[in-house]
Amino acid sequence: MTNSIDEIRDTEMMFVIGSNTSEAHPIIAMEMKKAVGRGSRLIVADPRAIWMAGIAEKHMQLHPGTDVWLLNAMAHVIVTEDLVDHDFIAAHTERFEEYRESVLSYTPEEAEKITGVPAQDIRDVARLYATTEKAGIYYTLGITEHTHGTDNVYALANLVLMTGHLGKPSAGMNPLRGQNNVQGANDAGATPVFYPGYQNVTDPAVRKKFEQAWGVELDPNDGLNLNVMMKELAKGKIKGMYVMGEDIVISEPNVSQIEKGLNQIEFLVCQEIFHNLTTQYADVVFPSSCFAEKDGVFTNSDRRVQRVRKAVDPPGNAREDWRILADMARACGYPMPHYENPGEIYDEMAALTPKVAGISHERLDERPRGLQWPCTDSDHEGTPTLHQDGPIVGKAGFQPVAYRPSDEMPDDEYPLVLSTGRTLYHYNAATQTRRSAGPVAKQARNFIEIHRKDAGKLGISDGETVRVSSRRGSVEAMAMVSPRPRRGCVWMPMHFAESRANELTNDAGDPITQTAEYKVCAVRVEALTPEPVG
Amino acid sequence: MSEARQLPEDELFEVEINGRTCEAREGETVFEVAARQGVEIPVLCHDTRLEPAGACRVCLVEVEGQRRLQPGCAWKVSAGMKITTESDRIEKHRRVLYGLYLADHKLDDAGLPVETANANQLRMLAEKTPPLQLEAVEAPRRGRPEDENPYIKFDPELCILCARCTRYCDEIEAVNAITLAWRGSETTISTAGERGLLDTSCELCGGCIDTCPTGALIEKKAPQILPAHAEKVRSTCNFCGVGCQLDLHVVDGKVAKVTSPPVGETVNDGNLCVKGRFAYDFVHHEDRLTEPLIRREDGELHPASWEEAIEVAAKGLLGVKERHGSDAMGFVSSSRCTVEENYLMQKLSRTAFRTNNIHQCAAT
Ligand code: SF4
Ligand code: SF4
Ligand code: FES
Repeated sequence: MTNSIDEIRDTEMMFVIGSNTSEAHPIIAMEMKKAVGRGSRLIVADPRAIWMAGIAEKHMQLHPGTDVWLLNAMAHVIVTEDLVDHDFIAAHTERFEEYRESVLSYTPEEAEKITGVPAQDIRDVARLYATTEKAGIYYTLGITEHTHGTDNVYALANLVLMTGHLGKPSAGMNPLRGQNNVQGANDAGATPVFYPGYQNVTDPAVRKKFEQAWGVELDPNDGLNLNVMMKELAKGKIKGMYVMGEDIVISEPNVSQIEKGLNQIEFLVCQEIFHNLTTQYADVVFPSSCFAEKDGVFTNSDRRVQRVRKAVDPPGNAREDWRILADMARACGYPMPHYENPGEIYDEMAALTPKVAGISHERLDERPRGLQWPCTDSDHEGTPTLHQDGPIVGKAGFQPVAYRPSDEMPDDEYPLVLSTGRTLYHYNAATQTRRSAGPVAKQARNFIEIHRKDAGKLGISDGETVRVSSRRGSVEAMAMVSPRPRRGCVWMPMHFAESRANELTNDAGDPITQTAEYKVCAVRVEALTPEPVG
Repeated sequence: MSEARQLPEDELFEVEINGRTCEAREGETVFEVAARQGVEIPVLCHDTRLEPAGACRVCLVEVEGQRRLQPGCAWKVSAGMKITTESDRIEKHRRVLYGLYLADHKLDDAGLPVETANANQLRMLAEKTPPLQLEAVEAPRRGRPEDENPYIKFDPELCILCARCTRYCDEIEAVNAITLAWRGSETTISTAGERGLLDTSCELCGGCIDTCPTGALIEKKAPQILPAHAEKVRSTCNFCGVGCQLDLHVVDGKVAKVTSPPVGETVNDGNLCVKGRFAYDFVHHEDRLTEPLIRREDGELHPASWEEAIEVAAKGLLGVKERHGSDAMGFVSSSRCTVEENYLMQKLSRTAFRTNNIHQCAAT
């Protein structure tokens, strides 16, 4: 996030797109509710009539996968009505003219035909966004989990830049991270293209720094990201894996391919707190620790580094992950230092990572609100709002984007569009939440949300078990007939191991990030029992 | 939180609290200005996240020029206002008021409100200012039938009808699952049609428990854990990306309860969602993996020592690297693990296996 969570309550307008905030980020939703109570204007763009849409001034119920059209049409209104921030554009951006040209053909009237959102609404929201000073954009996986996820993000960034909604409190561009420490894992270099702190692995000077610090020669080429890694696994090209804290079988798209790959892998090590679908294939399983059993830090959506503290011991002979990793590295021939505690590991990383150079466990222990990076030295108090002095380096370039349809569109055989996501009560593979009474009482089994008219046409009633099939697989789920989805669209959570939404999803990836298209695939829904004749 | 933002000069004015001059601004309450000065005014029905209700009268103060005592939690300051927060008159008022509350509350052998898992604030007030002894009121309170929800329990005998819970549910969680019901001495906290919480819009956030000042609303799972009996460990929630701070209550080496840190102290401002507050059963679940496992000749996983497991795992992975090269290796790390652990995983793959094929499980 370019802003802090506490800035939300002071925003004057919120544009929430592709984020079911009240379920996926309940506490951020609370801040948004508070802002609405104080008169902030809330616009929600989502194919489903999610809870937040209920308290919004306007709900733009777009067809799944048509975000670029919607956003470019908003941009069209802003440039044609000259609502842009000329000073900001001149001072901090480049390539505006090229971008301006690129959105001219995206008229709100055409957009209405493709997105299903009335042209007038597009105009109203575009004007409101452009003319409100403290206007913030909030988005999450509904934007990124598409084959055009990167385009969606660019389209949003263009809106932010052309209206100068950056570097100010309560206005900005705010991706809400899906998991507790996604930000922190990225920051720490758990990515195939960056060392810690977003330092490129292909940059010779950077590589030299890390080679000196770590005392070995390093791989000069970008690695494979997860989506590609999974495809290579399916093809039998990845032959050895070490998987920590992740159920790749339930969480990745196109499960059956991954299972095929795991069946033929030569060696698999899993490090886990529970058995899951992936450990079934493991050659060695290390029992590890949950957050309550170890020290360290998590970094949340607003770049806030906060302490995790050991409260209890791991069960039985389970150990803390950092200890296991250090032992493994040494057993594999790399002289990993004998760290006394995770504070020392953090210090090692901070010394190599300018963005967090000023952060240490000691400093965090004194601050109940943590520290937000960039935090460059031990006198720095962190950065609540990014880009206060303009884009961090040089000028930000506009990125013209053209609409591309989703990879798989509905047809006669698979006539419905399926999106997948999270619910309030469960969390990812649900190995944790399904062991708690409340989430189970609220949602015990997998369901598929379907519009009542579609359900009527298919002869499906609420609560009935149905079969959902795509080109890749098929699962059973309970039909939840509701007015919330668009007609022609269905929605399924991704939490249930015995009925895996990812049997259905398409692993086609975004060309840049390779993030898979969890939000759009074509499916067919059928009643299980044939309709009685007569 | 106390450093107020820089205000335009003309919005600031002076008021006097207990003879001390201090700055205040339009719209602030006596309670807020006093708190900033370190002057504590007792409150019961007030929660700074909520609109003041002025319901319990515990916070009454003297305001010069006003004949009657006024509620500090709701009374707005104005330029030149002179406020007194401690006096014989206020003391007398408090003793009578506490006496009235106690006459209709569960008391322990010492005649004080019983201690509860929420740290009964009425008890703390009564300890500070001895209440007037009044005849106990024998009007049984109306409750709501016990329901199936696994987390939230209501004891009408401890309820003081401050409505913090219902206001929280309405103003903060914004789902209106619970409400004040019935009238007169029967007034109680209930749901529409006395339905079980699971059949309402309740999202099981537990915020009503957190704000309840007496412990009338309490956690079903941990009703007996008094604040004094648990060690509290501050940590960060392991579910979504908000990064709520939590206090883990540890009893006998187990996480027995989770609460949110005080309002205003951390990023979540005293709030939590159902996962953060209640979904910790997994920590001590019997399905946890407790032994290293190695797949033996019979094709099954068997318990092994750490030494052996590490050795076998290292050999296995190094073997693949020797046979097929670094490009055949893949490392998957986790956003569920700490920053330090992710750092070590990428360092391991890059140093020991010389590959950048390392990614965390969630790309966003
Ligand atoms: S748990 Fe939350 S949603 Fe349920 S009644 Fe209490 S405050 Fe309302
Ligand atoms: S249950 Fe607690 S919070 Fe609710 S009215 Fe009663 S005393 Fe107040
Ligand atoms: S705290 Fe002020 S009236 Fe209750």
